[in-house]
Amino acid sequence: MRKLWAIVRRELISYFSSPLAYIVMTAFLLMQGYIFYLIVSFLNNPSTQAMTPLRLFFGGTIFFWLFLLFVVPVITMRLLAEERRSGTLEVLLTSPVTEGQVVVGKFLAAMIFYIALWLPTSIYVLVLGRHSEIDLGPVFAGYLGVLLLGFLFLAVGTFASTLTDNQLIAAIIAFAAMVVLFSIGLVEQLLISSSAFKAALGHMNLWTQMDDFAKGIVDTRHVVYQLSVGILFLVLAAKSLEVKKWR
Amino acid sequence: MIEVENLSKVYVDEPVVRDLSFFVPEGQVLGFLGPNGAGKTTVMRMLTAFLPPTTGRVVVAGVDLDQDSVDLRRNVGYLPENVPLYPEMRVDEYLRFRADVEEVPRADVRAQMDDVIERCLIGEVRRQVIGTLSKGFRQRVGLAGALIHRPPVLILDEPTVGLDPNQIIKVRELITELGRDHTVLLSTHILPEVEQVCERVFIIDRGRIVADGTPDALRERLVGNPTLSVELGSANGAAQEALEALPGIAAVSVRGEGRFLLEHRADTDPREAIFHLAVEKGWVLLGLAPEKATLEDVFVRLTTREEQTPAPATSEEV
Repeated sequence: MRKLWAIVRRELISYFSSPLAYIVMTAFLLMQGYIFYLIVSFLNNPSTQAMTPLRLFFGGTIFFWLFLLFVVPVITMRLLAEERRSGTLEVLLTSPVTEGQVVVGKFLAAMIFYIALWLPTSIYVLVLGRHSEIDLGPVFAGYLGVLLLGFLFLAVGTFASTLTDNQLIAAIIAFAAMVVLFSIGLVEQLLISSSAFKAALGHMNLWTQMDDFAKGIVDTRHVVYQLSVGILFLVLAAKSLEVKKWR
Repeated sequence: MIEVENLSKVYVDEPVVRDLSFFVPEGQVLGFLGPNGAGKTTVMRMLTAFLPPTTGRVVVAGVDLDQDSVDLRRNVGYLPENVPLYPEMRVDEYLRFRADVEEVPRADVRAQMDDVIERCLIGEVRRQVIGTLSKGFRQRVGLAGALIHRPPVLILDEPTVGLDPNQIIKVRELITELGRDHTVLLSTHILPEVEQVCERVFIIDRGRIVADGTPDALRERLVGNPTLSVELGSANGAAQEALEALPGIAAVSVRGEGRFLLEHRADTDPREAIFHLAVEKGWVLLGLAPEKATLEDVFVRLTTREEQTPAPATSEEV
């Protein structure tokens, strides 16, 4: 456990000693703030259908997804690719830590950074709370959804980062893999005849899953799907480290 | 101590290390020599459980690699080539990280950090960011990281590459000092370094050990006949033949105007005869000195690729 936290702490030191972290955080908050502003003004228009702003905020707009798909690879690209490039991976893997500990440590650090990214958005909840009644249930469910999506995508990004010693390539692989995961569910709408396949795809639709969370519905199927795919990618990441080392 | 039996490594049909066996007793400083691509780094990576061997057995500090690779790593301090470090961390942050990862007991972390900082002479930079350090300091920070958990076995891959002469001397002193209570395996290109630091030398070429022994023994056993360099003034063309005719001379080669290199049998000393010959012929004897073969000669002789692979020069004895 101590070794795991040492890895997490070291990774966080690296995050916050590079300008990238601050650029990502600033851009993220600017974008989120702008989206929030757009949503609120959109809903202020009397002709639009009634909806809560936070429901739109959590995954209700394409901006949410676009930004997530861009930000996550930037968070994860460094994790192992940089260690491999600089050779520190050799030092790390010749100390008494397992590949699993390395992967989980790195992933947790990315998760902490991701949470830090989202934390300031809780201000929007406070802002809305001053002007109207808000139902806290969907808010917490929304944040849970954000957390689970982060778990899934960051795991994919961590895996991508084990595949190469080039950060840019790691980011592109992560982005491509996430787009595939994201669009699996969208394919469902293209299939006309209803079949088990179509239904299965429907269950994998991250957009509708996120929308459920934003509505305050915590569906265990969604939770299980996102957690299990995330864990699958973490296992793959550990295996990929082992294999790469055996090369 | 390090025990290796029939170690081989094959990368996609290409053998890099072939059937290597050796034993390094506790407290020995062993120099690992070889041309680029001889397989030194591969062997070191297998000894540190970074690469799995294709076949063979590795036992380091009493731990079998096959049985418990994590426990083996606990007993080894490894400094890879080019000293990889995290440039964004401070020296003491880095050492603390290494102490945590290497399982230094919590209560000892501070003391052991202070100890390696003192040993490696990096006290003045302990709060500095690693990326801003000079190469010499970085090398010593890397070494400090490898020592933090007091491993019984140290494996250092080219620890003095890229340092200036003063820094090289300091690192060598440190390694010599470490050799007193550690088993050290050190790879290098720099031959004088081996002569100064190591009690024993391996030369490997194309994945095989081609020589094994103390630097002195290697010179004696491998260079063959002792040689003399002779310089004669006003010698004519007959000098070479006259020298060859002396008793006990195996070969004479011309090194330049009036200069000769004589190979003679180890049981004879032809210096007296050369002096008399010069007097008799009226040549002026300008120089007469035994030529000491350097480790460089040994190295070149054993690893030159023109001929067939040379047979191992020594048996497996230690």
